[in-house]
Amino acid sequence: MKKNITLQTVVYAGLALWLILASLPIVWTAVISFRQYIDAFSSPVKFWAPFTFENYERLWIDRAFYRNFLNTALITVCTVTISLTVGCLAGYALSRYRGSLGFWLLMVALVFRAIPHSSLLPSFFTLFDAIGIRNTYLSLILVLVAINQPFTIWMLRSFFVNIPSELDEAALVDGCSRFQAFRRVIIPVMWPGVVTTGLFSFLLAYNDFLLSSALTSTEKMTMPAAIANSISAESEALLMQGVAGAVSITIPLIILIVLFQKQIVGGLTQGAVKG
Amino acid sequence: MKLKHFLQFVAPSVTLMLLLMAAPLVFTLYLSTQNCVLDLETVTELQSTPFGTQDVLTQRARTDARGNAIQLCDYVGLDYYKKVLGIATGPSVSLAKPVAAPPNEFAAALKFTLIYTFTTLPFVLGIGLLLALGVNQITARLKGAFIAASLLPFIITPVVAALSIKWLFRDNGLVPYLLSNVGIQVFWMAEAWSARLLIIVYGVWHSVPFAFIVLYAGLQSVPQDSLEAATIDGASRWQRLRFVTLPHLAPLIVFLSLIHVMDAYRVFEPIIVLTQGAFTMSVQYLTYFILLQENNPYKASAAAVLTLIGILILLIPLLIKTYREQRGGR
Repeated sequence: MKKNITLQTVVYAGLALWLILASLPIVWTAVISFRQYIDAFSSPVKFWAPFTFENYERLWIDRAFYRNFLNTALITVCTVTISLTVGCLAGYALSRYRGSLGFWLLMVALVFRAIPHSSLLPSFFTLFDAIGIRNTYLSLILVLVAINQPFTIWMLRSFFVNIPSELDEAALVDGCSRFQAFRRVIIPVMWPGVVTTGLFSFLLAYNDFLLSSALTSTEKMTMPAAIANSISAESEALLMQGVAGAVSITIPLIILIVLFQKQIVGGLTQGAVKG
Repeated sequence: MKLKHFLQFVAPSVTLMLLLMAAPLVFTLYLSTQNCVLDLETVTELQSTPFGTQDVLTQRARTDARGNAIQLCDYVGLDYYKKVLGIATGPSVSLAKPVAAPPNEFAAALKFTLIYTFTTLPFVLGIGLLLALGVNQITARLKGAFIAASLLPFIITPVVAALSIKWLFRDNGLVPYLLSNVGIQVFWMAEAWSARLLIIVYGVWHSVPFAFIVLYAGLQSVPQDSLEAATIDGASRWQRLRFVTLPHLAPLIVFLSLIHVMDAYRVFEPIIVLTQGAFTMSVQYLTYFILLQENNPYKASAAAVLTLIGILILLIPLLIKTYREQRGGR
């Protein structure tokens, strides 16, 4: 096939344009996060301005953003761990059970996956207040695990289906119980699927704003919920702290993309290409 | 696997979903028909004012033995649904002028949610397809890096992404400055049309990477024989795309559309960040706003139930598709 120079140029230009558009918001936010307010939002816009760490200092030290960071760490680690433990058991069972109950469970899970999270909030408010667990880490973690479950069991099931059932059936013949077969035979070979599913559980918990901002108060908030008060920022200092916070929240995600690009892409195409 | 073992294995997951999703949904339905008020009592208090001490009548909530405020709940039927939908309630025979009906908040929220969903959809699919076709053309060494970088809008925390876009477009931000150089002056956050446009731009920007990656994966399995046969038969580049590649991608395009409709229906972060509900609302935002700002869980429940009815209607095609596939796969 003859090389079409014009077409190649158009393709590269188009892809470059997308890269610029995709990264511009966060790149520009990162640039202005190292500036004073007057340099960050000035007319005309400045492309070079004095460098300062002040916004980060104010945010992380004076506003104790490290506490929100620790909250996020605690909540995401617990959510991912519980989600995967509970989800692996269910996903494994769904991949091996042939009855129609499994099918209906998957259908219900699909409906649950589509539920807008704010629909659950009025009940959470009322019920959690009644039993006195509103504004606790535990209630937020359990809520995040539950809303994660539909997606987690679908994804893990699709990985377990690909592990030949002869493996665990052989173990059953050798006298293992179902659970022993799962623990000794399946767990050692399931890690690729678990890592991929875990990444998406992590993203859901880490990126959640709606539930975390509604169910916890300031000192227990995760990072995304904590910078929300810069949404309507009246004061310039608060706004600049929000800018620094936005960049701080994004850095771990960029590291995640660099480290786990293959798993993320694999996970995204998993459900689609197979059916 | 035996039914007994199946039930044991799924028990923890099902329990969590029953307790924290199914039960709250049923409870929401109950809450939406209730109205609770604090049980107030009027007490006389002695207050000292600059004009001397005097008896003042104040109201305070009655408390139970444990010191919690007592709430009096009433069954109000569909009253809150009527409020959210803007149907006037109250005595039908009134001597005074008929009271103007409250605005139909839910219809307004639903309208924008659907506009958002269906205007972003063609752009998401179109740009996703163009990127997938483009990446298919470039040298292998660049592919990995490009895919990684283009994932960013999809992975990034939605509230952070919406804030970044807001800062980019706010007064004295980068984009208004660049536009003013070519003579365009828009105060993006100050007008309804521009605020809505920004929300839609956010929606396209956020959803394109997923469509791109799924379609790119789909392109890898286009049968090469058919493409070559078409070339030999004299098909142009466009004809090969139209008659070989696109039919092959059709199931994926259907799949992406269904997922997009489901996810776009839940749009929330760009609404709260970019307009704070000033010009426009989404159905999720409406529930959140009534709950946290109006502080009324009963009215919020009514909005939530209406939201759920909406998503169930939108879900029907996806459920039918999945039902057929799962049944057919057995």
